[in-house]
Amino acid sequence: MKFRLIGTVVGMAFAATFANSASAADSKGGGKLAFAVRDWFTSVYESKFMDECPEGLAISGDEVWWRGLNKKDRARLTDNGLIQTLNRWGQAVRRGPNGVDICLNPSASTGDPVQRIVEGKYSYGADLDGTKDGHATAKSCAHEKFIDANDDNKLVDNQFYRLVGCTYGWRHVGLVDLNANEMRGTSGLGMILIEVTGVDDPRNDDDVTVTFYRSVDQFALDPVGAPLPFSSYRIETVDGKPRYSDSLKGSIKDGVIETKRGDVKLPFYGNYNFMHPVIKDMGLKLTVAEDGNSATGMVTGYYDLAMMLYWIGGMGPTIPVSYYNCPSVDTAARKLADGYPDPKTGECTSISSAFNIKAYSAFAIHPETERREAKR
Amino acid sequence: MFARSLFLAVSVLALSACGPSEPVSEGAPPDMRRLTEEQYRNTIVDVFGSTVTYGGRFDPLERKDGLTELGARSARVTPSGIEQYYTVARTIAAQVVSGENRDILFPCKPADAKTADDACAKQFFTETGRMLFRRALTTKELEMSVSAAHEVGAGRNDFYEGIAYSLAGMMVTPKFLFVIDSVEPDPKKPGDVRLTAYARASRLSFLLWNSTPDDQLLKAAEAGELDKKSSLEKQVDRMIASPKLDNGVRAFFADFLDLGRFEILEKDPVIYPAFGVKAGEDAKEQLLRTIADHLVARDLDYRDLFTTRHTFVTAPLARIYKVPVTKPDGGWAPYEFAEGDPRAGILTMIGFLSVNSHPGTSSPTLRGRAIRETVLCQKVPDPPGDVDFSGFNDPNSPNKTQRQRLTAHRANPTCAGCHKITDPIGLSLENFDGAGAFRTTENGVKIDTAGDLDGVPFTDAPGLAKAMSTSPAVPACLVSRLYSYATGRPLDRADKDTVAYFQKTFESDGYRMSKLLRQIAISESLYSVSPPKAGAATQAKSSDAQKENPS
Repeated sequence: MKFRLIGTVVGMAFAATFANSASAADSKGGGKLAFAVRDWFTSVYESKFMDECPEGLAISGDEVWWRGLNKKDRARLTDNGLIQTLNRWGQAVRRGPNGVDICLNPSASTGDPVQRIVEGKYSYGADLDGTKDGHATAKSCAHEKFIDANDDNKLVDNQFYRLVGCTYGWRHVGLVDLNANEMRGTSGLGMILIEVTGVDDPRNDDDVTVTFYRSVDQFALDPVGAPLPFSSYRIETVDGKPRYSDSLKGSIKDGVIETKRGDVKLPFYGNYNFMHPVIKDMGLKLTVAEDGNSATGMVTGYYDLAMMLYWIGGMGPTIPVSYYNCPSVDTAARKLADGYPDPKTGECTSISSAFNIKAYSAFAIHPETERREAKR
Repeated sequence: MFARSLFLAVSVLALSACGPSEPVSEGAPPDMRRLTEEQYRNTIVDVFGSTVTYGGRFDPLERKDGLTELGARSARVTPSGIEQYYTVARTIAAQVVSGENRDILFPCKPADAKTADDACAKQFFTETGRMLFRRALTTKELEMSVSAAHEVGAGRNDFYEGIAYSLAGMMVTPKFLFVIDSVEPDPKKPGDVRLTAYARASRLSFLLWNSTPDDQLLKAAEAGELDKKSSLEKQVDRMIASPKLDNGVRAFFADFLDLGRFEILEKDPVIYPAFGVKAGEDAKEQLLRTIADHLVARDLDYRDLFTTRHTFVTAPLARIYKVPVTKPDGGWAPYEFAEGDPRAGILTMIGFLSVNSHPGTSSPTLRGRAIRETVLCQKVPDPPGDVDFSGFNDPNSPNKTQRQRLTAHRANPTCAGCHKITDPIGLSLENFDGAGAFRTTENGVKIDTAGDLDGVPFTDAPGLAKAMSTSPAVPACLVSRLYSYATGRPLDRADKDTVAYFQKTFESDGYRMSKLLRQIAISESLYSVSPPKAGAATQAKSSDAQKENPS
């Protein structure tokens, strides 16, 4: 019964998309599904008593700065602690030599504490290197494997979780992803549009193509601020062609869309920064909700380390309220990076990662459709 | 063989050339109708241009005999209503005399703008007053307007302030706010009366354009051309060819389908989050846009409105329809529902479905009743005052679908009679929830959409659409309502032959709205009036006296 319902609802939008794609309808598998990604959260496994962080949460940059002050300066610069963390951040972050911003230039800082990282066994994610013990391969650096939090019989790679899983800002109450999601949701920037094409049957199809676009249209929201499903979003273009359009082959089984792995360049906006990282060996698994209105799933792959560190160092006022110390994270990240070693240095340039996403059923409006309709 | 064919062909040609002739209509006593909001708005645009704007609402009109236009006959103007009219009139007058507009809207310039100028004022009121009153001003009316403008203009050292004062006053008189059936002795029928040429022009203009007559039509009236068939046809053809016909057709259908209810339409945002204020506005506009496109722009068969898959959507509507739209940030885009889609015709559009539903649920009864009463012109009795709704409101009811609940409800013989009329139609639209979104189940139970229309069975909404499009009651209802709307009065037995005549011509014209409008507009019936009733005659006399001696 459930499946029938999903089939009907998704099928309707599927049929509508199909009907509007005359050229696609001429060929086999002309149907489409599309989803607008609203939420993008780092997959963080959290045990009830925080066993994965035996040393506690990571030390914040503010605390490092505060510890470095003498008693007189503490009183002067923090008004004896009355000046809030966020408000004293401007001074705290410029604790490098000659007032250098240690988040934008983490290597300028010295004597920082070691980042407190995850020491637990479990994590969400995917097996990216294919090894049982995380030994170095042609495309990976040596690292420890996690046990899949969803399946004790599987091993997964998620060094990014190891890096930030004990940092307040990335845990479920933290602001890093919440803030970034809010920015994407209200700004209309950085919306990832996922389009599934070549669909014969929206419930089961062993050969579909999943393409990742960006839209700069604002999310259509309901009265309480939740995205309205089945909204239409235009694909962002440059010179008339989609700015992002990397594709992965995949399949649909009982309404679950799963891709093979490949490199995908994605748009990303949040916490005052825009970037477009390449996630290597990226895979997507997306389960469409029973009512067909939304879908939840996980993106896994090797995240571009330089891009990630650029983002972590550039979050501005999100940093002090996320309680991490930029130089500590930077140093740890370079040690933990486990994907795609640089041929010259041998240091890995990507970091295994996993992200939970929530997307809403949508219609991706292609530039050629826009042009055709404009002429009518 | 050839001779017989020729004879047959000639006979057919001769018959079709003759056609049915228009029966004589006695008409009804002359009357007066308050301008609807739309007519007021259109008049202001036609007289002063679209740059002159105003806000505010007027007293609502009561819907009578299936049309709000008929309620306008018995409309009163309340004290607060007249205040509102005056506020709006002052707003309009101020814009008319403003620096940006005066050079365009005035036929003259005062010799000195710092004082009164009677000659220029007279010229202005002669022209503008004629457009507002839909007739030439009497000498006394003109003198009074000029005199009021003079007094204020001279007193305040501003010619334009004087004009604005007098113009605002003109716009709150019944002569502007009411369309009056002025009559005169009929020279062809001694003892009888007929509509004056100006009144004929107004009747024609409000039917076809839903607005005041334009200068050309008034000139034709003044030249006595509206009494001559050929000249009248020329004017009607000109008006039907005008883009303003769109306004006329939209106004009729907004009234016919009772779309005024959109003003108070609300949906529960928790149950229908996609149905916001904008979606409601767009849903109404979608109905009217589709109708105008079908009947005016494409001049198609009226009956096909019930099966058409061609429409227009905006982003808020597209979300509910679950279809893509190429203009997510606003604007209308054409859309064609695919063959096999559950949407077919205006009865499956969000507008019809949502306005005939409750705030949080669909309503087969409201939908069935709306179809019976508006589209088929059939009367469904009102429900008794003590209906037991507990079966509908109980969340733990074993009856999961509307069909199950209504079946249980019909066990009450008091309710069964009317529900038998409404429900078989309304239940076929149950695949659409209270916001008009498609669904296949209700509370987890598959929805059964079987129904029938007066003995014609169908299994779903497209089936209902087909049954509607082939029902003879559908075009018959349109004709009688349109004729009633055109004449501004409810129809009675005496109108039977006239309505039958229009129904016949509508059928032979392929159910084209433009042809039906033309037939009515050039008919004698549209303009026929019977002598005023005794009481009304006294009123009319005193009204005439007032016209000559306005206070």
